[in-house]
Amino acid sequence: MKKLVALLLALTMVLGLAACGNGETTTSEDPATSASQTGETETPESEDPATGEITDPDSIEDDMLADDGVYQIGFVTDVGALKDKSFNQGTYDGVKLYAANNGLSYKYYQPANGDAATDDDRYNAMVAAVEGGAQVVVCAGYLQEAAIRRAAIAYPDVPFIFIDGYPIQEEATEYDADGNALPNDSPILENVAGISFQEEQAGYLAGYAAVMDGFISLGFSGGGGGENAACNRFGYGYLQGINAAAAEKDITVDVNFSWQYGANFQASTDLQTMISGWYANGTEIVFACGGSMFQSINSAASGYDGYVIGVDVDQSGESDLVITSAMKGLSDAVQWALGHVYDDTFDTIGGTGTSLGVNDNAVGLPTSDEAWRFETFSVEDYEALYQQMVDGTLVVDADYNNQATTEWTNLVLHEI
Amino acid sequence: MTFLIQQTMLYAIPLMIVALAGVFAERSGIINLALEGIMIFGAFIGVLFVNLVQQAGIFNAAYEAGNWIALQGFELLAMLVSAIMGAVFSLLLSFASVNLKADQTIGGTALNLMAPALVLFFIRIIASQNTLQMATGNAAGWFMIQKSDFGYGRNEEMGFFGSTFIDRTYLATYVCILLFIILSVLLYKTRFGLRLRSCGENPQAADSLGINVYKMRYAGTTISGALAGMGGFVYALTTANCSANGDVAGFGFLALAVMIFGNWKPLNIAGASLLFGLFKCVAAAYTSIDINGDGVFLLAELGISAHFYRLLPYLITLVVLAFTSKRSRAPKAEGIPYDKGQR
Repeated sequence: MKKLVALLLALTMVLGLAACGNGETTTSEDPATSASQTGETETPESEDPATGEITDPDSIEDDMLADDGVYQIGFVTDVGALKDKSFNQGTYDGVKLYAANNGLSYKYYQPANGDAATDDDRYNAMVAAVEGGAQVVVCAGYLQEAAIRRAAIAYPDVPFIFIDGYPIQEEATEYDADGNALPNDSPILENVAGISFQEEQAGYLAGYAAVMDGFISLGFSGGGGGENAACNRFGYGYLQGINAAAAEKDITVDVNFSWQYGANFQASTDLQTMISGWYANGTEIVFACGGSMFQSINSAASGYDGYVIGVDVDQSGESDLVITSAMKGLSDAVQWALGHVYDDTFDTIGGTGTSLGVNDNAVGLPTSDEAWRFETFSVEDYEALYQQMVDGTLVVDADYNNQATTEWTNLVLHEI
Repeated sequence: MTFLIQQTMLYAIPLMIVALAGVFAERSGIINLALEGIMIFGAFIGVLFVNLVQQAGIFNAAYEAGNWIALQGFELLAMLVSAIMGAVFSLLLSFASVNLKADQTIGGTALNLMAPALVLFFIRIIASQNTLQMATGNAAGWFMIQKSDFGYGRNEEMGFFGSTFIDRTYLATYVCILLFIILSVLLYKTRFGLRLRSCGENPQAADSLGINVYKMRYAGTTISGALAGMGGFVYALTTANCSANGDVAGFGFLALAVMIFGNWKPLNIAGASLLFGLFKCVAAAYTSIDINGDGVFLLAELGISAHFYRLLPYLITLVVLAFTSKRSRAPKAEGIPYDKGQR
């Protein structure tokens, strides 16, 4: 009798637990279910591909269900969340827009093990994409280099689009003990198209605009721990812009510059505390340069009356505190590259690295009325500056290795 | 200084309340190793509640109108929901250890293993990514009490007391402190508390005086679960921007350490968690801590590696535990399933 009661109690508890989470699922504590990062629950797509051009990526489902189970465009994410409202999301928006407007099926694959994803995990995600019928695989983030090399050799007929990337050779470049690259003459993989951006130009514009608008104490919190070329370019350009504007106004500004707590591009308690400390001590605006890190920085800004500069995509919709965003045209670049794949002109970009900057209108600040929140720095000022970059009268140094040796004339750099 | 006090409280309060959760379970005779798991679960439930209510639009009007009192009510509701679900989750542990007389350490470990997996599983279903966030806005914007709520302008000061204990604080922090005091009194100054503690020391004697040991142990563990669940949400709300990702940075285990370090006594626990919170805050923000307000950031100028500061809170815990654990006196009957026939 007692056992029966106990059994019933156990059952109700298990059922109660199931009910509190989600009505349809039972609590099967299979660790594989939660560990598997690629197993997606598909929801039916409510999209009608026949109705004109779709321009709002948010109106397109993230998970589409192909009738035949074949997904023609595969997207392998970088570290961090898919909906990071930044890098991953911006890239995926391009995939979704191109697919929706061309009647193609698409699917995203997150490498297993989240932030601790290894090259094997990334490779497996790419294999899953190709095995799932992908005609082209879009890979976001420079971390994927080794995995793309393996996948591109394993599937020589599948084009790979490497966002924030560069051409890849069959053999990885070796380095000697001093960190100098050894000669590498292995052939370049023709089915990988590297697309990078001139982030330093976007960073320059943001830093320049912020100082011209009257900010005198700024911050930079970057992702990738100083190892991510894109973030490094953003940061270096940002400093150059700040310095140039400060020189023009003949003032000296303070800049806090940190790579801490950003190695995995995630929001974290520690990051929020650190940035809160900056704001509490007078920093007025922080450039949140890295995916989900924005959450922590925005939260700190919200608590301490600070402002934020967004990154990668226009983040003004996220918060009123976002004064501007150093954008790069991820979505457009992905659509442009996918266009080449489906026009059968992939060979013109395959095996090469394309660097997109102001000349391609691929980097800049958002200038729409709701996104432009500068008070004294006007859109006209911005466009004049932009034009100088296009003309070539203003050149932003892209080689971030120079940052350490640069003597800043009008800014005091606090590297943290 | 203001900054240091505020950030220390943000770290210390969840730790304190969860350590008290541990005390309630252990004083009743159940080792609650599942604190971490329950925190994770509570954080998830609280964030889910906030997310769903935001999507339903119930408090959006209040947010738009800047009605901060209504939003504080929303925060309290979320805390309540996560406490209730934390209590329900902890029933698994009490059932296993009271009714089934299972090994409590193993039961707690099982919950610790289960909670992150379960939570991530649901988060991926709900948000199709590994983090569940608020539907709109951020935690500070919605829930933080700010001086503007009291009509102070951007550049107006509230004075030391105001700017330290009112501006930029969360109501959750004070609710936790209040609860901590009330429950400590409950544990030491009431009949219920005495009975609960007796079940953790000598359940046979308690039973002989007509106290239902099973009921008391259920009560202790359930209160423990509720506090841990709430603590998990408070942690997520105040330090993780109200997001849940199946992780509370080991705060549940730290709370266990704090409980042992505080010798199962509320006052010592409060001190221990403040100490830990202080070092945790120093670790993250040592470059911008200006202790006496003279514009000199002493800790940054010492030139010690950032890694050392990050190590500090854990190092301190280890060292203090090493010195104090000898004196520590755990409830005598904890971890032993109560058997009426045993002498």
